[in-house]
Amino acid sequence: MIAFYVIAAVMLVAAVKVVRSKDLVRGVLWLAVVLGATAVAFIQLKADILAVIQIMLYTGGIITLMLFSVLLTWNRDEGKPTAGHHRQVTGLLLSSAIAGIFIAAIKRTDMPETTPLTVSDPQAVGALFLQQHVLAFEALSVLLLAAMIGAIVLARRRDA
Amino acid sequence: MADLEMWLILSAVLFSVGLYGVIVRLNAIAILLSIELMVNAVNINLAAFGWARGDYTGQMIALFAIALTVAEVAVGLAILIQLSRTHKSIELDVATELM
Amino acid sequence: MSAELPFLVLALPTIAFILLAILPALRRSGRPAAYIVIAASAASLWAAIQLLMNQLRLGDSVQSEFIIRWLPNGGESLADIGWVIDGTSAPMLVVVGFVALCVQVYSLGYLDDESPAGLGRYFTWHALFVFSMQSLVLAPNLLQLFMGWELVGLCSYLLIGFWWQKPEAARASVKAFWVTKAADGGLLLGIILLMSTTGGTAWNPEGISSGTLNAITMLLFLGVMGKSAQIPLHIWLPDAMQGPTPVSALLHAATMVAAGVYLIVRGWPLFEASEMTLTVMLWVGSITAFSAAIFALLQDDVKKMLAFSTCSQLGYMIAALGAGGMAAGYFHLTTHAFFKALLFLGAGSLIHAVGTNSMSKMGGLAKKMPLTFLLFTLGSLALAGIFPFAGFYSKDLVLETLEHGHHYGPLALAMGGVVVTATYVGKSLTLIFFGKSNSPEAHPHEGPITMLVPMALLGSLTVGAGFMLFKPFQSLLGNPDAVFHYTTLGYFGLGLAICGLVTGIWVARGGTISALKPVGDLILSSPLDRLYVTIWKRGLLAGGRGMAWIDRYIVDGAMNAFGWFFVLIGERARRAQTSRVDDYVAAVAGGVMIICLSSIVLWTLFVGAV
Repeated sequence: MIAFYVIAAVMLVAAVKVVRSKDLVRGVLWLAVVLGATAVAFIQLKADILAVIQIMLYTGGIITLMLFSVLLTWNRDEGKPTAGHHRQVTGLLLSSAIAGIFIAAIKRTDMPETTPLTVSDPQAVGALFLQQHVLAFEALSVLLLAAMIGAIVLARRRDA
Repeated sequence: MADLEMWLILSAVLFSVGLYGVIVRLNAIAILLSIELMVNAVNINLAAFGWARGDYTGQMIALFAIALTVAEVAVGLAILIQLSRTHKSIELDVATELM
Repeated sequence: MSAELPFLVLALPTIAFILLAILPALRRSGRPAAYIVIAASAASLWAAIQLLMNQLRLGDSVQSEFIIRWLPNGGESLADIGWVIDGTSAPMLVVVGFVALCVQVYSLGYLDDESPAGLGRYFTWHALFVFSMQSLVLAPNLLQLFMGWELVGLCSYLLIGFWWQKPEAARASVKAFWVTKAADGGLLLGIILLMSTTGGTAWNPEGISSGTLNAITMLLFLGVMGKSAQIPLHIWLPDAMQGPTPVSALLHAATMVAAGVYLIVRGWPLFEASEMTLTVMLWVGSITAFSAAIFALLQDDVKKMLAFSTCSQLGYMIAALGAGGMAAGYFHLTTHAFFKALLFLGAGSLIHAVGTNSMSKMGGLAKKMPLTFLLFTLGSLALAGIFPFAGFYSKDLVLETLEHGHHYGPLALAMGGVVVTATYVGKSLTLIFFGKSNSPEAHPHEGPITMLVPMALLGSLTVGAGFMLFKPFQSLLGNPDAVFHYTTLGYFGLGLAICGLVTGIWVARGGTISALKPVGDLILSSPLDRLYVTIWKRGLLAGGRGMAWIDRYIVDGAMNAFGWFFVLIGERARRAQTSRVDDYVAAVAGGVMIICLSSIVLWTLFVGAV
């Protein structure tokens, strides 16, 4: 219980820091904190394999990629960090309304009585992946290939 | 041990924070970061449901989502680099035309 | 053999027409084009005669029927095309083919001065006409008959307006077109009503309630009145005389105007079953027969006189049909086709020679044009119903039918018509051929051989058709034992005709005709024309304007308002497309919110508490 609140607190504070930080480098680093806290949450939820992949892919891969992109493209002295006042209010209203609807829906739903996981079993996840959902898995590999090619094509210099 | 409801609420709040960021921020990278927050919230949701149901399908779907996010980020960043090349900026209020 | 012959009848004129239509060089060559059409018509006539010969052995049974399902409708067929050869269609085929061939040969001489291109155009339309008329005659059902009907209407329009450079001719063609089209509206409605009632267009009255049958046949008869120039829809026929005279002979005397009568003969099972329509036909026909004869008497223009005479004779046919005498009406159609075509060709010959249509400007032509005089007189006597010419037999049959049905009112009108007909015949013969020449500067002469031979052929039929064709004709219509009765009524009619002739000669000699001229000018269908023009202007045009107003401001207005509404929405909605990602995301979030909220509301309303 304590663990949940600690995770939740860290995650939300870091998330707010991500969306509010004017400095993009800091924003990326705060995102790393959120992702790390998520990894801990995954361990809490008996999803060790997810936690590992989260650390490897996100904090290892994506955060690095983000940092590179920020350094490559972002001009620290230029541009407005956030939109105007009007936009701020709209965003706040919309997002809190959505949160309110979600929370109301969650609160009002009767969750079925089930037995939660007690052990983490990465082998079972792997078996699901490669047996029951192998077609989706293969489709995903095609998608990743397409994304890779697309990213290369998009990032190429036009005149090259 | 917290119950499913608490995790779902955490996920919902995290999602809303991400949504707020997407609406408010103009910087393309900041928007990308906010989207990451939202995807993360979804992943927590999936993992929490899987945990509560007592099977591993939720985790599997979360893995799919992570892989998709990786693809999305890769393409998104490529677009971003191209954008900064064309407009010398990654503030989205300058990029209001189809290139 | 019998399968190819009907095909030949239709195909040869079609081929000729298509050849001339797609080969402008051939068409503009003039005479070669004419020879092609004449050859096609002659071959077509040969096939038609073969068919008639076969048919004469068969009596009234169906000789050959060929049907293509055109609009299949389930197991049934909504419309068929093809042909049916039986006792009804076979004689008409020969009549049409024969008169058409005669007229085409005659046209070679008559239109000698025409430019090659004009001659080619003329014969192209002739080929189209022969095809259209024969397909009308051969039609196995009303729909194909209607198509042929409209095609001959088109040919009529084109040929009346053949000299389109003349404003009167152009106007006359348009007038003929519109009057007949207005009447064809009735025909079309009748066909639609028949189709919707029985699911087909066969000539079968079974299963139609008597009210519907009355409506159908009345609508069909409206079309007949237009085509066969019955009062009060006769006004186009005198104007149609603006076309070349051979055209008048073929279309507006012998065949096309008779198509209306043929329609009734063909659809006899339908018409026979409707008492009301028969009565209307009886009266319309007899009134036309009498009053058109009066109009003819008052004409000085030889062609217009013949045109009104055609109206009058068609009236006899319609009246005979209305009295239930299908054979009488049809027989009169046949004989009339011969002698009226002869008269028109003769009139053409006179006009060709003298250069005027006016009878009072002719005169003394008997010596200068003896052959034409002979033939024209034969035709005139047949028209007047003098023994032993064709008209005597058929007209006597008509009168007999009227008497037989105890229709004494129409009979009196028809008898009056006989007198008046004989009177104008006598008058015209006297004016044209006797007395002294009123146009001394002209040097009238006989036409070329191409004009005389067709006239002679028609003349021989005019003499012989009455007694020679009566019996075979009756056998074709299912009455093989018929003999011609020389009744008291017939002799009485003959006496009346002779009286009329004498009166006519006396009228012409005495010059009293000029006293009647103001009446003639008045009656010359102009009050009726003016009435129609008024109806047209006040009624149809005003109605049309009203419709146009409704169309413009209400129908179009609604459409425009609709369009304006969407343009407005588009203008507004365009602003939503700011091309800013954050706006779009906000819109997506708003949309999600709306969906959630509305589903909550709907859930609460229709399912119960949340």
